[in-house]
Amino acid sequence: MNNNKSLTNLVGAAKATKKLSQFSLLALACFSANALAESVAITNAEVYTLASKGILSNATVVFDEGKITAVYANDELPEQLSVDKTIDAKGKVLTPGFIASNNLLGLVEVGAVANSRDGAAKKADITFDASLAFNPMSSLIPYTRKGGITTNIVMPKGGDSLFKGQSFAVNLSGDFDSVIASNNGVIVELGAKAKGSRALTLQKLANTLEDADKKLTAKDSKKKSKKEPKRSEVVVNALLAGEKPLLAKVDRATDILALLKLKARYQLDLVLVGARDALLVSQDIAKANVPVMISTIDNLPNSFDSLHGSLTTAAELEKAGVKVIIATSGESHNINQLRFDAGVAVANGLEHSSALAAVSANVADVFKLNSGRISVGKDADLVLWSNDPFEISTQVDTMWINGKQVSTKSRQDALRDRYTSESDMPRAYIK
Amino acid sequence: MSINLSGLRFRKSLLSVSVISLSLTACLPQEKQDAKVTINKNPYPSTYKALAHQDTLFTNATVLTGTGERLNDTDVLVRDGKVSKVGQDLNEQGVTVIDLQGKWLTPGIIDVHSHLGVYPSPKVESHSDGNEMTAPNTSEVWAEHSIWPQDPGFQTARAGGITSLQILPGSANLFGGRGVTLRNVPSHTMQGMKFADAPYGLKMACGENPKRVYGSRKVLPSTRMGNVAGYRSAWLAATEYKRAWEKYEKDYAAGKNPQAPKRDLELDTLMGVLEGEILIHNHCYKAEEMAVMIDLSKEFNYHAGTFHHGVEAYKIADLLAENGNCAAMWPDWWGFKMEAYDMVEENVAIVDAVKNSCAVVHSDSAITIQRLNQEAAKVMYRANENGFDLKEEDAIKWITYNAAKSLGINDSVGSIAQGKQADIVVWSSNPFSVYAHAEQVYIDGAKVFDKFDDKYQAQSDFLLGQTKAGK
Repeated sequence: MNNNKSLTNLVGAAKATKKLSQFSLLALACFSANALAESVAITNAEVYTLASKGILSNATVVFDEGKITAVYANDELPEQLSVDKTIDAKGKVLTPGFIASNNLLGLVEVGAVANSRDGAAKKADITFDASLAFNPMSSLIPYTRKGGITTNIVMPKGGDSLFKGQSFAVNLSGDFDSVIASNNGVIVELGAKAKGSRALTLQKLANTLEDADKKLTAKDSKKKSKKEPKRSEVVVNALLAGEKPLLAKVDRATDILALLKLKARYQLDLVLVGARDALLVSQDIAKANVPVMISTIDNLPNSFDSLHGSLTTAAELEKAGVKVIIATSGESHNINQLRFDAGVAVANGLEHSSALAAVSANVADVFKLNSGRISVGKDADLVLWSNDPFEISTQVDTMWINGKQVSTKSRQDALRDRYTSESDMPRAYIK
Repeated sequence: MSINLSGLRFRKSLLSVSVISLSLTACLPQEKQDAKVTINKNPYPSTYKALAHQDTLFTNATVLTGTGERLNDTDVLVRDGKVSKVGQDLNEQGVTVIDLQGKWLTPGIIDVHSHLGVYPSPKVESHSDGNEMTAPNTSEVWAEHSIWPQDPGFQTARAGGITSLQILPGSANLFGGRGVTLRNVPSHTMQGMKFADAPYGLKMACGENPKRVYGSRKVLPSTRMGNVAGYRSAWLAATEYKRAWEKYEKDYAAGKNPQAPKRDLELDTLMGVLEGEILIHNHCYKAEEMAVMIDLSKEFNYHAGTFHHGVEAYKIADLLAENGNCAAMWPDWWGFKMEAYDMVEENVAIVDAVKNSCAVVHSDSAITIQRLNQEAAKVMYRANENGFDLKEEDAIKWITYNAAKSLGINDSVGSIAQGKQADIVVWSSNPFSVYAHAEQVYIDGAKVFDKFDDKYQAQSDFLLGQTKAGK
């Protein structure tokens, strides 16, 4: 799916499908699962739109053919809604589906099982497209949905190269067409090194950009080179054209400042990832308009690059005017804790609304996704929560991806049910 | 008199001492007795002293006792570092009164599985002291000899309400060595943190780790059956060692002059388990392996102790309760290895639901230890969504009383009750909320942390003077 598809196109496509559905529902069922999505109105919801309408009480959200078609405040509700299904939210909280990031979801099934891992390869370089390995059938995905996560930005670990490859976006429908966008960000890793000097990696990055920039400028002024650019050059050129973000894994303040300089020089679409010492240079980051993707709970001085990690980092960055993205730390199996990490950030000073944006709208903005907000035309990726989504006592009531209701039942639930049921037979007979 | 002998070659020099022993022996010996050889079981004694404290009356709190009770609008009086009274409308003279209206009070949080100090921050090679990965049996190593008390993680754990914690060696080995229980107070020596009368723990590990580490070196164990063969060989040796010491004791008491068994640090630890003085803390994920470990303990007549990381404990909840084993669990860690694949979020609740059970929530993480209350909360809420009826007073046990029981320190800490050491956490609100903070933390009645008072926020030597914020 192309994220940059214009709204009119989308609406047009939706209308066409609607006609089809009246014509032959069965034929359509064989065509695409998503096209079956019915029109739904969720009424009486506390809606966190993360859009211009802000927070609405007793509001109604309508979606059809996978897109949000109307958002009504209490006093805007028309007398009649022409929808297939109405769901009374009974005052529960409706948010955009959360968007996780910086993990290997769908690339790793069991961490220590070597042949269940596809997130890294020694020879992986800037062209590494791990989306080719994405497994929508992974048992991690239904479990991740329990955390209200509808979309994920997978960021592979790469290999020996300075550039670790490219990120990609997926929805968590579990369908075979889950990849929303591949190659939507270039990952680079800077900072402390076990062998050698960080200076060399910074230098390499600067040189790569400078060389590519020179080549492009030369091309503009002289005749076009007959040579096809190398695949890696195409990617670097895309960075220089600002077509995709440079996702820079970095912690120390000096490295961050060096990156900000590169951004200024080449107008890069820069995103800082990890950035444990970011609060030391929060003003510079804000001035450069660079988003920061951080773990909110990573507060220990893990290295000499990160002596200032703090539970208040997210709040302090936000106060300085930095756009924050919250990502869980560690691997992929507990991404559904994203909402608790957001809660910890709120407990340590981050505004609740900012924390919500940090797990939805902000991520959508950086990766140009048509989700993360509840407004007309956006993908109907929605979560109805029993209460405040960040509270541990809260659970997902219902969730939709592209307007289609998805289950939050996982393999873990089946195991629990097996071992909490009574039977005369061995448990293996309980299914 | 306790004499430490590392080898028999020293024995002759002690003959003069043995003459004194002889004169004290009641029965008439056939020959002169040498000085009796005994093992000093506490050669690195605790020097912990409670911090300066004052008698305090906490009033109007919601108290979770740690033993299954919730007391609303209740006062807790602390005198001389101990809980002196728990009740309503207590009136005491000459004490500091702290009104906790709207706040919650719990026992200090205890983590039975921590590597703070032995795998400290920063995570640099020079600090990696938690796993003596040089032999499948390293019962002779003691985690306390690796502890760096300046690990900044102790401070952040204290801010999360952690008052006691067991530091374990790593899990590469069948027998990883001894763990030690600490009071979470700042100190520049390990001894200054050591929990005075806590029993030692012996770390054992089942499953994937030992077979991977040693299998890759082509030595036993390379399989799970190799693991068990390794345990059995070790317990056999320990049984013989114990018998040799018993024979020595008996013969010496009979006035003979037996030769003391050769000291063996590895077997000292295992013998401590056989004698019931050292508690097993067994990293063991899978149901079938825990069942084997229970049988193993019966074969060699010791108690199998606490299973840590018991991801599959829910499959054998009955068996654990029948045999008096605690299970220390995460709410949701999983999938990092095959033996952690069968996670269920209700694991702790399922284990807890059985009569005579001992369910514990542990961290094994310098990050998670800061929020064990939230870890317990996750279990409580997920379980309640799926047919359980757990309350805050139930869930707090998993990180207080049951944890203390697992460590053998439940006589002195782990609950709010008269006579108990006053390890107390004051929470800003219901501690099972994501927004709750540990506002004040007390150990033995002494305030060791205050969220709103810089005076009670310790800082490690390591960070002092090199961070911009100064803390």
